Amino acid sequence: MNVGCADRERILRDGTAEEWAALEAHAENCRECREELRAWKALSVAAAELRDYREDSALWAKIAESLRENEQRAARGFRDRLAIWRGIPVGWQTALAGALALVLAIAGIYVLRPQPGDSGSDKLLRNSALAEVERTERDYMKAIDKLAADARPDLDSATSPLMASYREKLMVLDSAIDELREEAGRNPSNAHLRYELLAMYQEKQQTLREVLETKR
Amino acid sequence: MGSVGLTLPWEHRISPEGGGEPRVQPSEREERNRVSDKLSEDAALAAGCLAGEMRAYERLYQVQGARMRNLARNLLGSSSDAEDAVQDTFVKIQRGIKSFRGQSSFVTWTFRILVNTCHDARRSRMRRKEQAQDDSEGSAPALEPRAPGSHPSLRMALERALQALTRHQREVFLLYEVEGFRHAEIATLLEISETASKNTLFQAKKALRSMLEPPRSAEAGGAR
Repeated sequence: MNVGCADRERILRDGTAEEWAALEAHAENCRECREELRAWKALSVAAAELRDYREDSALWAKIAESLRENEQRAARGFRDRLAIWRGIPVGWQTALAGALALVLAIAGIYVLRPQPGDSGSDKLLRNSALAEVERTERDYMKAIDKLAADARPDLDSATSPLMASYREKLMVLDSAIDELREEAGRNPSNAHLRYELLAMYQEKQQTLREVLETKR
Repeated sequence: MGSVGLTLPWEHRISPEGGGEPRVQPSEREERNRVSDKLSEDAALAAGCLAGEMRAYERLYQVQGARMRNLARNLLGSSSDAEDAVQDTFVKIQRGIKSFRGQSSFVTWTFRILVNTCHDARRSRMRRKEQAQDDSEGSAPALEPRAPGSHPSLRMALERALQALTRHQREVFLLYEVEGFRHAEIATLLEISETASKNTLFQAKKALRSMLEPPRSAEAGGAR
């Protein structure tokens, strides 16, 4: 690795071991870099003079005492609170506990009660969304029923294998739709069931269209 | 602050062998080994302290106490203030151990508390000084005599020069060069980037060098 005087500051600031070695090699023939390196290293050596790691067990004794005091203070805080409680006559303790339970119960009821504000409007929104879905579903069903009524004569009188296959498919679809509607009735908020039902209706609609197109 | 250069040149003040090699960041493998070695001890200390075991605190003191006290003394310039700071730090560790999330090593976390405790101590000492209208020395703490080292005059000169650095430069220099922390640890400890730590150390050493290095003419005379 080749380094020169221009690299010195960068290496002193953030040099790798290889760069330091290269700088040392360069410094052997460069008085200025040699002087800089010597002074730089001398500072690190001088820093050792500020190291005084003598044992001091007396300090640990003081620290341990402080830690124990702190621990006791924390425990005492809890015990003091408990002592205040214990100092109260049993009758009052029962009354206070009962009052606390009552307050908690009232607070619980207050928090969980149906709110005319946000939570009520949420429920209202949910209900209105569901009603909207059901209304759309009904309209959709009506349209499909109308389509089915148009296709029925051809399907009933069909003798071709294609029409027979359509009839069979529609029977399967109707039975799946009935099943899904029953499920959706039991669980009206289940969006997945609604999507399934919609897919079935779309399939039925497409099949009926194909039946009518075949007739033409 | 003017130059506090010593009369002897660097060659006479310090022996070149041992400790003169520059510290560079360890390689990835060395770093992994070092981390895995210390991880179990560090985790055990944290777990023990969290469980409120006095033995864990004692172990922490055995392992890091001297280093903590040394750093506090270098930051505060007073042995008694340093002891108070270390004592406060242990109590703060006990109070705050539940908030230790393990984002840094436990030891780094404890030193972060120590550095902040030293900041608080410095601030309250400055307030006390202001109240006592004793601002003759500014914010620089009075330096106390310490155990004699191999170069007491050099140590004193360095201590004086350190007081002329910015607080950040002083902290990074002490943490890196004296206490042996790595830049990554200093970055966590002082909430700065690793690059900022490296740059600050560079600036600190440059400033110290200009303060400690005797003028060329004096050096030439002393190096005979």
